[in-house]
Amino acid sequence: MKYLALLTGPEDIGQSRLFWAVFVLLVVNFLAGPLWMSEFEASNVSYYLLNLPMALGLCLLWGYCGVLSFGQVAYFGIAGYLYGIIAGNMRGDPWGPLLGEVGGLAACAVVSAIFGYFMFYARVQRWIVPILTLVLALLLETFLGQTAGYQWRVGSVQLGGYNGMTGIPWFQLGDLTFFGYSFYYYVVLVVLVSYLGCRALVNSHHGKVMLAMREDPLRTELLGYDIRARQLAVFVIAGVLAGLSGLLYVQWGNYITPSQLGLVQAALPVIWVAVGGRSKLLAVAISAYALNWITYSLSSAGNQYALVIIGGLLVAVMLFFPDGIVVTLARNMNRQALARLFRRG
Amino acid sequence: MTTHSIVRTSALEKRFGGIVATQDVDLDIPEGELRCIIGPNGAGKSTLFALLCGIHAPDSGNIFLKDRDITALPSFRRVRLGLGLTFQTNRAFHELTVRQNLEAPFRLPQGGRSSTSEKRYQYALSTFGLDMTSDVPARELPHHRLQWLEIAMVLAGGPDVLLLDEPTAGLSPEETLQTARVLRHLNDDGLTIIVVEHDIAFVREVAERVTVLHQGAIFAEGTVADITAHDDVRRIYLGQA
Ligand SMILES: Nc1ncnc2c1ncn2[C@@H]1O[C@H](COP(=O)(O)OP(=O)(O)O)[C@@H](O)[C@H]1O
Ligand SMILES: [Mg+2]
Repeated sequence: MKYLALLTGPEDIGQSRLFWAVFVLLVVNFLAGPLWMSEFEASNVSYYLLNLPMALGLCLLWGYCGVLSFGQVAYFGIAGYLYGIIAGNMRGDPWGPLLGEVGGLAACAVVSAIFGYFMFYARVQRWIVPILTLVLALLLETFLGQTAGYQWRVGSVQLGGYNGMTGIPWFQLGDLTFFGYSFYYYVVLVVLVSYLGCRALVNSHHGKVMLAMREDPLRTELLGYDIRARQLAVFVIAGVLAGLSGLLYVQWGNYITPSQLGLVQAALPVIWVAVGGRSKLLAVAISAYALNWITYSLSSAGNQYALVIIGGLLVAVMLFFPDGIVVTLARNMNRQALARLFRRG
Repeated sequence: MTTHSIVRTSALEKRFGGIVATQDVDLDIPEGELRCIIGPNGAGKSTLFALLCGIHAPDSGNIFLKDRDITALPSFRRVRLGLGLTFQTNRAFHELTVRQNLEAPFRLPQGGRSSTSEKRYQYALSTFGLDMTSDVPARELPHHRLQWLEIAMVLAGGPDVLLLDEPTAGLSPEETLQTARVLRHLNDDGLTIIVVEHDIAFVREVAERVTVLHQGAIFAEGTVADITAHDDVRRIYLGQA
């Protein structure tokens, strides 16, 4: 019961039974995907979904804690590259990919912990944080970009410079290899668990402290909290979630290039979060899915201007819905009859 | 001198550039006292509180809480050792609901407040007319309720010493009196309270002893009657010849 209350608590959109009924229907619909989607389509949907953990992590950090990171792609890249190195070197070992996952996520946790420690314990001003985080991502990009030569290999895996790392192994658990429909199920599961986990976190007592820190860090500290440690904890969680997206990405496409850590990619998570509304997880989940779908559809149709369109959308949203589209819609719905229905459940 | 001091400072000093905000302050607050700190604007009252809470580090001198030297401790540790502060400008969480404000303070892992703290907290809620379950955003409260909300929020953390920086700023005379009564009652119940206050009527209502700060230093200390009769205090503070 206590755990259920964490899921239905007030810090995200949707508390009523009707909401949860719709939510379960949606999940069932995703799970029944193979009934209404070809394997190719399922693979596309996997792609729209796989960035959600990174978006949700940034939502926790920025929306709930008030700390904007512009460099979540650094962790995306660290996990992706490390998975490629470990799983690539253990090719043939049925547990190599799992070890690659564990290694990639552990590296994200360690790097974000060290980096975050220096930022938060030095009490770096809040507006410096986005710059520092972005710098880390760009440094990694630059470093990886110059690894084109043959000497840049780890064991049997070539880093590949701007051509990227290719032939990254599928995810695999023993004899079970994940691609097509099975990979799709695995992504749906990871995204669902990430979302529900974040939701439980924001509704826990720690979540309330996050909101307090967002509004007034000093006041929060003077209520007895070590805000440095709390911000660091959320920073690490966000880093690991970004790493999770990086893992899913390389397992989906079997390659990664340094431009995944570049300026354009770094801006995208910020856009997904801002467009939906950074103050609510569900809003961010919806907008990250929708925007990835739009970008992917536009660019796979050969449209050169996908990013321009997404950027334009960001500007329009910031002008007309500064709190984000989904958050604004949900708030207005709350005021109307439909919402009453929703709440009564 | 049988009562034991709960908050003590020795030779406390703080400068901001060329400005001496606190100098040579030896404060000694016995456990269970309600002390008022008065002094003209810029006398260093808020700075003294900031030093006690660890918002600023002193340039020299020491701070003791329950005989423990807390001079080097970070703020949150001092709060866990029993300090609670409300700011001069209201700093309840205006974007959060009343309930979220009251649920915000740190609770020990064992869960909850001691029975004494719980009693004080519940008393403050009921006399201040605050609803612990209210989902009204704090920003929609009238000013006096916001002031009371911040006090109640700090009491929810179960402090042993309450530092209030001008808690009645902007309150009507009745609201001021109500605040005074609540503080009086909490103090009768054993809570140590230090209040920075401008309103002399309020000081008369609540205080046993008064400390006068002037240009960062303790200028005078004594009972309310002593202080208000003190010629120099009248001159520098009350603005009377
Ligand atoms: N953060 C600060 N930086 C620089 N000067 C400060 C700061 N805080 C206070 N002061 C100065 O210290 C002196 C004491 O201020 P303060 O403690 O706020 O006085 P009071 O609360 O008694 O009105 C004033 O001259 C004020 O300008
Ligand atoms: Mg002041």
